[in-house]
Amino acid sequence: MVTPIHLVSVALGTAFLLGFTKDRNWKISGGLVLLALLLMNLISGSWTYALFFGDQVPVQVFTAGFKPPFSINLQMGRFEAAITLMINFAGLLGAIYLFDRLKKAGRYAFMVYMVFILGLNVAVMTRDLFNLFVFMEITTIATAGLIFLVQTGKAAAAGLKYMIATSIISGVLLIGIIFAYSLVSTLNLDGIIDGGLPLIKGGAMVVFLILIALLLESKPFPANGWGLDVYESAHPGIGAMLSVATGPMIAYVIFKVLPISGGAWNHLIAITGIITFVGSNFLAIKQHNTQRLLGYSSVAQAGILLIAIGLQKELGHTFIYVAAGLLMTNYFAKAGLFWLSGLIKGESLQDWTQLKGRPVLLFLFGLFVFSLAGFPPSPAFFAKWELIMQLASHGGYVWMVFILIGSFFELIYLTRWFGQVIGSKEKSSAQPDLATHRLVPVGIMGVGLLGTMVFFLHHYAPDLAIDFIPIIFIAALFILDFLPAFLKNTVTILAMGWYLLQHISDVQNDTVRLIFFLIFLAGGAISLLAGFSYKGKRIGYYPFVAMTFVGLTGLVTATTTLGFFLSWELMALGSYLLISRGKNAQKTSWIYILFSVGGAYLLLMGFGVSFAVTGDGLLSSLGIAARALPAVGILLTIGFLSKIAAMGLHIWLPGAYAEAEDDATPFIAGIMMNAGIFGLILSLSIIAGHPFTWWLGWLGVITAVGGNILAAFQEDAKKLIAYSSIGIMGYILFALSMNIQMAWMAALYYVVLHFLYKTILFLAVGGVIFRTKTREMYQMGGLIKKMPLSFISVLIGIIALAGIPPLAGFGGKWLFYNAVVMNGWYLQGALVFFSGVVAFLYCFKLISAIFLGQAKDRYRHIKEAPVWYILPQYLLIIGLLIFSVLPELVLQPVAHALRSMPGEGIQWDGHFAQTSFGYWNAFIVMTVIAIMFVILLAWLILNSRKAQKVKQFDMVFAGETPFTPETSHVAYNIYAPFNKALGFLVVPVTTWFWHATASVTDASANHLRKWYNGNGQTYALQMVIYIVMFYLIIRGGF
Amino acid sequence: MSFDWLIKIGYVLLGLFIVLNYGLLQYGVIRRISARIGKRIGVKVYQPYIDLIKNYSFRSQITHGVMFYLGPVFRLSGGVGVFLFMPLIFGSEHFSNYSFSGDLILILYFLFFGMLGMALGAGEGGHPYSFIGISRGLSQFTTIELPFTLAVISLAIQYHTFSITDIVAAQQGGIMHWTLMTNPLATAAAMLSFLGMMGNSPFNVVIAPQENPIGPPTEYHSTFLAVLQTNRAILGPVEAILMVNLFFGGATNWVSLIIKSFLVFFWPVFVGIVFPRFRVDQSIPWFLKLPFVLGILAIFLI
Repeated sequence: MVTPIHLVSVALGTAFLLGFTKDRNWKISGGLVLLALLLMNLISGSWTYALFFGDQVPVQVFTAGFKPPFSINLQMGRFEAAITLMINFAGLLGAIYLFDRLKKAGRYAFMVYMVFILGLNVAVMTRDLFNLFVFMEITTIATAGLIFLVQTGKAAAAGLKYMIATSIISGVLLIGIIFAYSLVSTLNLDGIIDGGLPLIKGGAMVVFLILIALLLESKPFPANGWGLDVYESAHPGIGAMLSVATGPMIAYVIFKVLPISGGAWNHLIAITGIITFVGSNFLAIKQHNTQRLLGYSSVAQAGILLIAIGLQKELGHTFIYVAAGLLMTNYFAKAGLFWLSGLIKGESLQDWTQLKGRPVLLFLFGLFVFSLAGFPPSPAFFAKWELIMQLASHGGYVWMVFILIGSFFELIYLTRWFGQVIGSKEKSSAQPDLATHRLVPVGIMGVGLLGTMVFFLHHYAPDLAIDFIPIIFIAALFILDFLPAFLKNTVTILAMGWYLLQHISDVQNDTVRLIFFLIFLAGGAISLLAGFSYKGKRIGYYPFVAMTFVGLTGLVTATTTLGFFLSWELMALGSYLLISRGKNAQKTSWIYILFSVGGAYLLLMGFGVSFAVTGDGLLSSLGIAARALPAVGILLTIGFLSKIAAMGLHIWLPGAYAEAEDDATPFIAGIMMNAGIFGLILSLSIIAGHPFTWWLGWLGVITAVGGNILAAFQEDAKKLIAYSSIGIMGYILFALSMNIQMAWMAALYYVVLHFLYKTILFLAVGGVIFRTKTREMYQMGGLIKKMPLSFISVLIGIIALAGIPPLAGFGGKWLFYNAVVMNGWYLQGALVFFSGVVAFLYCFKLISAIFLGQAKDRYRHIKEAPVWYILPQYLLIIGLLIFSVLPELVLQPVAHALRSMPGEGIQWDGHFAQTSFGYWNAFIVMTVIAIMFVILLAWLILNSRKAQKVKQFDMVFAGETPFTPETSHVAYNIYAPFNKALGFLVVPVTTWFWHATASVTDASANHLRKWYNGNGQTYALQMVIYIVMFYLIIRGGF
Repeated sequence: MSFDWLIKIGYVLLGLFIVLNYGLLQYGVIRRISARIGKRIGVKVYQPYIDLIKNYSFRSQITHGVMFYLGPVFRLSGGVGVFLFMPLIFGSEHFSNYSFSGDLILILYFLFFGMLGMALGAGEGGHPYSFIGISRGLSQFTTIELPFTLAVISLAIQYHTFSITDIVAAQQGGIMHWTLMTNPLATAAAMLSFLGMMGNSPFNVVIAPQENPIGPPTEYHSTFLAVLQTNRAILGPVEAILMVNLFFGGATNWVSLIIKSFLVFFWPVFVGIVFPRFRVDQSIPWFLKLPFVLGILAIFLI
């Protein structure tokens, strides 16, 4: 092995050599630097490999041939090797990225850059405190030099503020070191640790001085204005180095020096970390400057790393994965983003719309952003999972809550940024700078991130216990995204079919899972048929479709909480990306992802609490955990409520459904929504009978009534159906809240029913919108003659929805009535039935405003919806009719699955269903009605065989013929009187509440960031105040 | 080979025939009584027959499309269907129709079948008044149903069944066993709902002739109108019979059935003659006041 001292010698030697070159020989100086960095990478890389995968043991290198305390020792262990590799690798790519800038600045710039990398390497490896100080100083001075690379006033000011701040830090650190030497007579770190500083009089003060200095170097909130200004003003290439090279160095230095406090400072560091993590992410919400935003994010990431370092004892053996996950994600993603920002012309987030139309760059951008936000399978996802699980098992619930709050703030700005880039209608006219030497480092970071994901997936495979083939399929779709859409659609449908056939046996014995499995895969495949109506490539559609379905399937097949959670997040991310493809979906998709992830965090907490109780991550253990601590079930339930859009958490839904593309809405609404119900079944089955479910029942009632009334007032066809979904979710929530067999049977019956008719309705309406190019129903009218097949679909859909016999919807009502009287929730039940009658309002509006009434001139020559929209509708209609005649096909297996629940079930005698309250024979009802209908139709035909068909305007109209269909098509706001009477029930309190919350958050973030006023002196004062306050707090006063 | 099913159909048709004639006469009587109260002489009692025959005989017939054509079929199927699922005479197997295929819930929801079809058919007619009438009707219906639902739940609690036959059975043994006596709150709530269900004044803004020429059926004429009239003659009495079965002890023979349902049927008629018409935004809250409160009391005090 090459001795690690060569990391120093190569860097130092190159820096010296550069002195002999001339500016005009930039090829030589640049080549030397790159060669040196390559060599350093080889050295760190070989050590990393040998230490992690070989049998190499850590080594100490002693300078000048003496042992400490007479000399300086450098250590090369696993941590040092990995972190120097990170530094040197970033250094190499950074040099390539910055090459033209460094070249322009001359050989001294190359020199400074080398010194910067050198300083970082030694600071990581050294075990000597004074040496650490020296090399941190060297790094600092080099950093200041690099900041000045950008010759603007802003950069100069930032550099100056940086120097002021670092001098304070150096001062404090140096004083600390001097006193440490005077107390323990050594500067060797191991010697100081062994010396037991905290036990010596005055030792605590020394520990304070050293650690506070290092802490300040990590730019803790709120004494970090100087750092943020640097991030904002320096060249993005330098910003990247500060975040991904200096950042890990500081974190590691804190990690290795921390033991001098004898463990007393561990929690202090973690607390500082959490304050930084939450505070920085909070203030970032109002940022519009890209680099400053990335700066806030870098500081926040350093904060969460400090949490892990501070809580390393609690994390135990998982510490390494938590730290690595956080560090790696920030490393690859942040470098990638900083470097991307250098390609973009302009500083604001809006300028990133330059990436539009460049799928590879957009992919990388998305990859970085969502990895940072902690979506699977990014390393940060696993790190946060592990962090939360371990914190929960140590009772660290407060930590858990704050980490999730901070993560949520982070999500707010990251997803808003992403949404702005892909959703904004305006595209920046500037062209990004796409020089190869800038693109390559970004690409390498992307590949690196993907590689790390594979590593973490592999490592967590036993805990995940999921099938990786679907995940590989998603990756393949990303790669093959250049293929035509019909090919990708075919492949996706076939893959879903194949997976269904392969794995149906896994869930065959569990009826509940089987139902959801079939809905997700068979239903999903059918709904995807509509996609054949679209031509072109539809880049960035099918990978997300696949992601959503893989997530959904994973939910059903998962056996561990981690597997479930990963699938849940995958589904949320996939569906978010699908929704955000809509033309006007920028805001709605953003709200969607916030609610989705907000809910997911509650799930994470629930799983965490469960882990704390049972110590394993199995889904089957949730019940045991909930018996000990019902909070498990309650947290999970509230988390799932956001997915089913229970009133109060519903504001994301109408917009998301309406703005998604027309062929995406059916499976988002008809199929994906069932994920929330699946979750509720999981969570409510473990807290059945808990008093909490009584409140939940009322929430179901409110959701049903509110959703249905709101649906009646919509003019947008898709929003109408979307609100109706909220209503139905209310029914199901209500049913699941009752701890009796009949109610759960009703709920599962509704799951199947809702899937069938909602997918039919959305497909039918989607087909109509495909032709009319409008979603406003009052602009349509009279389309029955042009689109009879779509009309029949909607007709069947609404009959099923309204619960009118003989279609299957009636079965749902019948089960409901029985359940309500059996459970004794009479008033709630009556209100749910009231909401069912309200459903007639929107059912009629949907069908009449679109298909009946007066046809408009512009739609005179419109055609029936595309066949690929019609086909899936009729496949589902066949299913619905079979279900209507033979409901026992579903109900009997469901009853068997629910047999252990309290309460009576249904007695079957052939087609005859009976309970102690009532009876119903779907088969006879259908037969009687069908025969009667045919006879009466024949009777009418017999009597009106000579009926003459008349033209559109030929009607009784006070003696006049109306020639303007717009004025005689009564479709707009037709329930105004109803609104006048009962509109008070649906005043948008929820919307007000969330708007107010958002405004307060926004305004507070905006106000608080004024703390950073840009003045170097103020920043210095803030640092001093921070030091003093910190001291006072740990001492408990004056 | 058993011909039981044929005999069954024969009795069902006989029952239908009786109910149809009863309904037509009843409407004649109503018009007569209403006229007398208004100090007019009024039409003959058999005028509905004349109207029906006249409408079925029209030679000029126009249609606006398939749904327009099917509207009346849906409507009449709704009426006949409710009749088919309703037990008429307690203890008579012949006149229990097809009530074995579903209970009270089936009837409650099948009532909507005709409403929906009619609304759609009228919709295709494309007349603005049809839409206005339908939107009013549907809006009003949301709260009309609510007290009735509460009453039905109250009955289910009281009798532990949704089967109409069982509910009638439980009321046998004299007037003191009728729901009217044993559960007056539910009866009151349901009877107030019934006012709205029958669509007489003050809840007849749906078809309010003075401002909205007969509402939904504006475009219907000749045979189509005749089918709708046929339906009305069946559905009106059947709904009254439902109330009789649920609250007034049912009937063990046709005479008792006709007397009871006649009285029930006349309750909304008399109310309608006395009270003026509500607007929709007045009638909707009206059902949420006294009737709703009575309904709630009925489920909690039973």
